[in-house]
Amino acid sequence: MTIPVTALATIVIIATTVATLTPILLIALFIRDWKRGCLW
Amino acid sequence: MTALEEPILPTSVAWGLLAAFSILWVALGAWLGRRNYTAADHMLAGRNVGLALASATAMATWVTANTTMTAPQLALELGVWGMLGYSLGALGLILFAPLARRIRELMPHGFTSGDFIRLRYGTFTWRVFLGVSLIYAFGWLISMAMAGGVLINALAGIDYRVGMTVILTVCVIYTLLGGLRAVIGTDFIQTVIIIGGAAFLAWMTIDRVGFEAIHFDLMEERPELLSLLFPAAIMFLFNNLLFGVGEIFHSNVWWSRAFAFGRNVGFRAYLLGGLLWLPIPIVAGFVALATPALGINVPAADMVGPLVAAEVLGLTGAIVVFIVVFAALASSLDSLLAATSDLVTRDIYRGHIHPQASQEAQLRATKVIVVLLGLLTWLAASYRGEVPVVGSLAALLYFTGAFVASAIWPIVAGLYWRRANPQAAAWAMLLGSGLGLASYFMIGWYVAALVGAAVSLVVMVAGTWLFPRPFDWDRLARDDHDAPAGRDTPEVAT
Repeated sequence: MTIPVTALATIVIIATTVATLTPILLIALFIRDWKRGCLW
Repeated sequence: MTALEEPILPTSVAWGLLAAFSILWVALGAWLGRRNYTAADHMLAGRNVGLALASATAMATWVTANTTMTAPQLALELGVWGMLGYSLGALGLILFAPLARRIRELMPHGFTSGDFIRLRYGTFTWRVFLGVSLIYAFGWLISMAMAGGVLINALAGIDYRVGMTVILTVCVIYTLLGGLRAVIGTDFIQTVIIIGGAAFLAWMTIDRVGFEAIHFDLMEERPELLSLLFPAAIMFLFNNLLFGVGEIFHSNVWWSRAFAFGRNVGFRAYLLGGLLWLPIPIVAGFVALATPALGINVPAADMVGPLVAAEVLGLTGAIVVFIVVFAALASSLDSLLAATSDLVTRDIYRGHIHPQASQEAQLRATKVIVVLLGLLTWLAASYRGEVPVVGSLAALLYFTGAFVASAIWPIVAGLYWRRANPQAAAWAMLLGSGLGLASYFMIGWYVAALVGAAVSLVVMVAGTWLFPRPFDWDRLARDDHDAPAGRDTPEVAT
């Protein structure tokens, strides 16, 4: 039983999209914590 | 790991990158550590780390050179299940989320995982746990330092000992200067670099090769890599799940963060960190599946990631890989140095040598121990010889699987099962580690954690069922987080 090309592409595209957005999310959280004074 | 025939990055460029990032990490460490006045500041970053830094440090520490280099290797050897199985390592972080909240509630003033085991299970189990934990920590430290030297040598042709010495020295200096605050601060930047770099390489590979070509060429040359019924790969998937859970549940790297994160932050940080970590091995591993389509000859499986990056992007790809690997190595080495020095300070120095040590004495001791750990690691990594049981990063990584997986159930039972038997916890770790190691040699590296966890579960449940030992949870908070060790026999609740 072989994984179809569409399934492989879907998994990889979703994973890569999440990974691409992760630094943006972390920086947004950092700015929010910094503004609230709860970075540390 | 085998060096490539030709380094993919010019040595002069590599030296420039090493120098630039070394200066950045050390300067950040010194700046972040300027307000560390007490042992709690140095060891636990003041106990009030916010969500952004907490999530990033959880992710950065869990992304090691193993993730960035072994994920492609596993994809090349075990196919789709290899990269999916590796990504299940995220469950360790996700499942630790409720434990982190429980740890903070039960021990608001705790320092190390050893503190918990000593108070919860008593001296014998504590010492067994310290054995398991320190074997794992030293193994991971040495393997990271070795990986640093080997990777820098393979990528840029810099001598193994020189590269290993540089990365280890840089991590020791900034951990020494800034403690956990420096570790967490640098982890944030390293997370952004690692994930951004891995995603960039994945997008470029997709753009250059395309899924149709990757799938077609794999079907022609390596159809087993696309198989959903690859027995060894499915076994690996479950083994990796237990291995990841065991690593995180027992290691002081994760416990010290649970103590350091602000109230109500630990649960959310580990959950978010785990969910965001989940796709990283897929992103890093997927590029290996493009090797048939790119026509790359892979002389060493664990160097497949850099080879694909260099093929797809040339010098830019080599630079991106070098920076990502350097950041991944530093983010794990610094965390290990800090957490292991805390464990040695609290549980060996204060627990066994100097029970009356004040906070100031512990602060001084932890700094000395960071340097000593660095020296020990350097010595062990400098004189690496033929290690008979390991042939690659993956094999070395899973060698410790038996130890860490055997600690899962004693930790979980200790946190949630009031009647958990302390002797059963000790024997669960001893027998789980022993039989897990036996299976590593007799069956294969992919079952060590599976067997270790199974044996440990049976011993823990049977021992407690036959000889229950009720425990007073309040004792963990009430009993001295900072008083001398020694009066630590678990009390029976009345």
